[in-house]
Amino acid sequence: MWWGGRGRSFNIPPQKEPEMGHLRPKSMQVSRMEEPRSPQTSSCPALRCLPGEKILAWAPGVRRGLEPELPGTLMCTNLRVLFCPQGWQVRQDSVLNSDYDFSLSNIGRLEAVNGPGRPQILRPGSLLKFIPDEILIHGRDFRLLRVGFGDGGLEPLAFRVAMAIVQARKQNSQAQHYEGMILSKAYCGLGSNEPPVPLLETPEDWEAERRRHGARGWRVSTVNERFDVSTSLPQYFWVPRRTLDSEVRKAFSHFHQGRGPRLSWHHPGGSDLLRSGGFYEASDPNREDIRAVELLLQAGHSDIVLVDTVDELPTLADIQLAHLRLRALCLPDAAVAEEKWLSALEGTRWLDHVRSCLRKASDISVLVTSRVRSVVLQEQGDRDLNSLLSSLVQLLSDPGARTLHGFQTIVQREWVASGHPFLTRLGGSGGSEEAPVFLLFLDCLWQLLHQFPSEFEFSEFFLLALHDSVRVPDTPTFLRDTPWERRKQNGQFSSYTQVYTPGSPQAPPVGDLVPRPLTVWDWGLRYSHQQILQFYNPCYEPHHCSDICSPREQPTSVTPGPPRSIFLFSRGTLTPLNQLCPWRDGFSSLMSSSRWLPRHNASSDSLADQEWGLPPHWGASPLPPGLLLPGFLGPQIRLWRRCYLRGRPEVQRGLSAPTISGLLDELALLQGLLRTWASRPSSRDHMKTKDPDTPLSPSR
Amino acid sequence: MLGKGVGGGGGSKAPKPSFVSYVRPEEIHTNEKEVAEKEVTLHLLPGEQLLCEASTVLKCIQDDSGQHGICGKLVCTDFKIAFLGEESTLDDNEPQFKNKLIGENDITLHCVDQIYGVFDEKKKPLFGQLKKYPEKLIIHCKDLRVFHFCLRYTKEEEVKRIVSGIIHHTQAPKLLKRLFLFSYATAKQNSTATGPTHQTVMFDTIKDWHWELERTKGNIKYKAVSANEGYKVCEKLPAYFVVPVSLPEEDISCFQGRGIPIWCWSCHNGCALLKMSAFPKEQDESNLQIQKAFLDGIYKTIHNPPYETLKTEDLSNSFISLQEIQTSYSKFKQLFLIDNSSEFWDTDVKWFSLLESSNWLDIIRRCLKKAIEVIECLEVQNTNVLLIEENASDLCCIISSLVQVMMDPYCRTRFGFQSLIQKEWIMGGHCFLDRCNHLRQNDKEEVPVFLLFLDCVWQLVQQYPPAFEFTETYLTVLSDSLYIPIFSTFFFNSPYQKDANVHQRQLSLPLNPNKSSPKRGFFETDHLIKNLLGKRISKLINSSDELHDNFREFYDSWHSKIVDYHGLLLPHIEGPEIKVWAQRCLRWIPEAQILGGSPVAIMNKVLEMMEEVQSLQKKIDEKHNSLMAPPLDGLSLLRKPARLSSLFPFALLQRHSSKPVLPTNSWKTLGDEEDLAKQEDEFVDLGDV
Repeated sequence: MWWGGRGRSFNIPPQKEPEMGHLRPKSMQVSRMEEPRSPQTSSCPALRCLPGEKILAWAPGVRRGLEPELPGTLMCTNLRVLFCPQGWQVRQDSVLNSDYDFSLSNIGRLEAVNGPGRPQILRPGSLLKFIPDEILIHGRDFRLLRVGFGDGGLEPLAFRVAMAIVQARKQNSQAQHYEGMILSKAYCGLGSNEPPVPLLETPEDWEAERRRHGARGWRVSTVNERFDVSTSLPQYFWVPRRTLDSEVRKAFSHFHQGRGPRLSWHHPGGSDLLRSGGFYEASDPNREDIRAVELLLQAGHSDIVLVDTVDELPTLADIQLAHLRLRALCLPDAAVAEEKWLSALEGTRWLDHVRSCLRKASDISVLVTSRVRSVVLQEQGDRDLNSLLSSLVQLLSDPGARTLHGFQTIVQREWVASGHPFLTRLGGSGGSEEAPVFLLFLDCLWQLLHQFPSEFEFSEFFLLALHDSVRVPDTPTFLRDTPWERRKQNGQFSSYTQVYTPGSPQAPPVGDLVPRPLTVWDWGLRYSHQQILQFYNPCYEPHHCSDICSPREQPTSVTPGPPRSIFLFSRGTLTPLNQLCPWRDGFSSLMSSSRWLPRHNASSDSLADQEWGLPPHWGASPLPPGLLLPGFLGPQIRLWRRCYLRGRPEVQRGLSAPTISGLLDELALLQGLLRTWASRPSSRDHMKTKDPDTPLSPSR
Repeated sequence: MLGKGVGGGGGSKAPKPSFVSYVRPEEIHTNEKEVAEKEVTLHLLPGEQLLCEASTVLKCIQDDSGQHGICGKLVCTDFKIAFLGEESTLDDNEPQFKNKLIGENDITLHCVDQIYGVFDEKKKPLFGQLKKYPEKLIIHCKDLRVFHFCLRYTKEEEVKRIVSGIIHHTQAPKLLKRLFLFSYATAKQNSTATGPTHQTVMFDTIKDWHWELERTKGNIKYKAVSANEGYKVCEKLPAYFVVPVSLPEEDISCFQGRGIPIWCWSCHNGCALLKMSAFPKEQDESNLQIQKAFLDGIYKTIHNPPYETLKTEDLSNSFISLQEIQTSYSKFKQLFLIDNSSEFWDTDVKWFSLLESSNWLDIIRRCLKKAIEVIECLEVQNTNVLLIEENASDLCCIISSLVQVMMDPYCRTRFGFQSLIQKEWIMGGHCFLDRCNHLRQNDKEEVPVFLLFLDCVWQLVQQYPPAFEFTETYLTVLSDSLYIPIFSTFFFNSPYQKDANVHQRQLSLPLNPNKSSPKRGFFETDHLIKNLLGKRISKLINSSDELHDNFREFYDSWHSKIVDYHGLLLPHIEGPEIKVWAQRCLRWIPEAQILGGSPVAIMNKVLEMMEEVQSLQKKIDEKHNSLMAPPLDGLSLLRKPARLSSLFPFALLQRHSSKPVLPTNSWKTLGDEEDLAKQEDEFVDLGDV
């Protein structure tokens, strides 16, 4: 439970600026500005900068909106805007402060207020017309920072910092310069006890993952090692053991963007979850190619279900629109009357989208767990909703995925390595294809967390941290579109990565010739030890993990005959298909059979009932161990208030009931007392009543 | 509350053999034991009588187009409608939480909300004399359950008897003396009539009022009076109540208790919450003058600035009307009374706007807001607050109880809360009989005022669970007990009515000609009632704009501080914070079940930890006393090996389905038969999944 070793502080020593990015500012300020530099910045507080970061302006101010008001300094650097409360440096052991940091791309709206008049909205490039009393920064992640400036002759500083932010945003939107900070190895993941999250950039990682899943019928293919099959695919992926790389290469060329069917997850019961891009219907494969494609899709199973991923799910444009509306609704000054709030919320359609994702994911997890088969998620691009669905399915059906490590691995595999275009979707590239699919996924996950509070090792706080991390410019995890770009960057950076800090006393100095680039999973970078402790859910009941469902039937290793049954899953029903690929008979069969059936009338019977033909008296736990079936009725889909309503101070308080944490504290106290007693002789036997397996028995 | 009357299970009447048997009597003899296990017998309470019955009735499960059902017997007694089927004996995991009086398939007659019949696939409400009998009976209950009984296979005369019996006993107007309560009480008489000493203060003696005055330190300015002993003055007021010390006793009897400020509760700073029943609209000018003079006198005794200031809240005119509550709730409950599941899915997309258009949550918000406004006057402005309503027994009860729940931590304990209900609602003369329409005499009077109060309290409970001794389950059970005619608590219009009926068992209602009609319609005259006092004083009191600002400031400043669970508690009333009481509303909907999920999981964890804490605490105590007594096993709290579902403790642990493995509609057209056969084989193989 306890993962020590993260509490120590670390230094980032002054370093030379490598001559590399043409956009890098030449005059690099060194971090830890302890001594005064110029008369102007004489009282500028110390700030531990990221490499490549420089302070553009600062002004003393007061954080407002919440009691108590907090004095400190508002600073603007070329990467972020941050508010440093007084005395912050002393306590903090992380470079980035999660509470008051706004990376420039995260600033959704900047307002300057002077007196009672209307606030001026500052867009990149606009000019400030007055000396501001107060600056309001609305984050795109729903946070709000209000900084007020006092009198005392420092008004020019306030003006300067406001203008600096405006300038920096302009610069930032003109030039996308997310280099990704590559710091020393000193920043590890959560702690020494947690294995590092596999980045899935080496074949070893993939092989280890494959073994962990027990996917014996699969192997790691290196066919895309040089990104010549597809730049958006990872370098390595899993294909059926029997297929040759040449077959894979040929088969993949008949898929949209070269994204052919690959294993996403192997269910311990024997089923396989695959993901694939759409068939590239203009291509004209020969007989062998079709056979290869079929083998890949079939994956040794006789029962295949093709899932039309986008069916019944929102389009990217829908997601973006809903998110924009949600953001507008959750602004503190949203002009929605209290009694109209619910219909306004419904009008955003965000919760509706969450519902449809959950519903589909729960249907698919039933397909995967109810019998041994190959379930193929097929989306044209294979980079957005496929990621969302396959991650959700795994979270629903695999208890191991609900641990912190398991979840991070899933995000790394299904989103990062699989080439979800984070930069484009989060609006970083300024294009029109913005759609926060990942944030939608986090919301779905929050619903699960809310409905099954004891099934997840991580807490809501962790989800919030992840939610807030997607735009933080310190790691390349989220700020790239493809694995290829990520890889390219790393390669380019590899000669500069040896920023080893001798000041860090416990950092292992040997054996790390290739330092890991920082990833978002290095939480120690942004969150303090205390905060990281809160990533863990005190209610977690890990006992479900032990029930491993025994494999029902492994796919036979010999090439099976033609598949016995092929279905298309759409609109909640399974429709039989005559063949897998659209090409053979002038690719008619898929087209003709994929008629859009209306959702089954009594579709309220969840697919679970249909698939299992559940006995009329459903006992208390008839589901396969570990499978979660979420509720998705209207009243059960909730608003993630702690995330979306953060900007509204009136609803920030009292959101958490301290019951569990209070009890935990009391428990720790009592155990401490008991231990002092137990250390006296003849009291050993009283310790044993405690169940050593309960996650709550803190061994601190 | 449900614990009482448990012992009465056995029943005074031996149940008749109650199933149609397909075996010969000899066989029954030999298989008696087996049969006894399988057969569900009708348990009658003391004094309960079987009225009519019908056999081979199908109870349909979740409307799988009426195909799937459990065969059994439908009976109607003078207490409940019960379905006796075989289902509950089948699985060995008995529901862990069972109502001791009302089984899974029992509907008390008072709980029936609406009865529908299905004629040729068309659903029609049933009432009165029927010409044609339906093939299916749908019963909507007030606790939001929905039952479907298929009568297609039942004998015709049995159908006639049971349908007309049910309709008659649930819908026809009834006399008070015909309430099951009385037959039960008569039959129960010789058993333990006096329960254990109550920790709930009943407020039926003057001592209780003295105790309450002392507890709230209101005894300096207020006194308990016994002017109404024997209900000499007024039948609306309780025998004992509390008035300002300065009020002359003879004033009380002037207008049968109207126009008298009656004490509800005193705040820690000495300010008090008072209530007053207003005068009915008076046509006669001279009477009007008299009333005016009287009110002026009363007003002088309680409003003498700067020592004592008073603020009035006229709830009849400037607040929610009962009509509004009624309309809103009838819309709201329709969201959860679902005849078949597809109906539910259809509305799902529109869920929030449907919910909003019912307006129920907004009414809750307005009640909470009003209570906060009153608290602001008491707490910040240091003024007394006088609530005025025509009978001071509906909205007055809600607001005054809410104020006390928010301000007085005692009211957040279980016994404190029960005492509060006893004081404000029972003694306060809330017309439970009319508002719940127990006698079916006037549908217009049926307004779920008490339920609205419970829902407001639920909002507080779910926002600040640690501040309350009780949980939402307690509130849900409390809301159910409104319809169980075993307890006298919620079945009378006033303490007078209760005393008159319970103590002298010969039920004769002495009609007092002078008494103003208790049935004065709120709905006809509501807009006409102009309250003299309210009008007068409102001139002196600050305007409403100012009030709003004060409210906002008070509300914001309280919420910016850290919550003290033992002090003042203000709810959040913003749009996202007022929620649906999901436990009560969704508990009978199988689709809403989340296995292993939701608050139950947390509750389990909390209980587990409490158990651990307590056992550790005990060990430390033992060490401390250096007593090596054998350690007692820790409390055996709720321990469940199985995963509980989110509907716990009202869980429908069964789910039923008669659906085929795969939806077959498309299948038949597209697949060939051989495949179909294979498919079914496979299903059988995997049947044990």
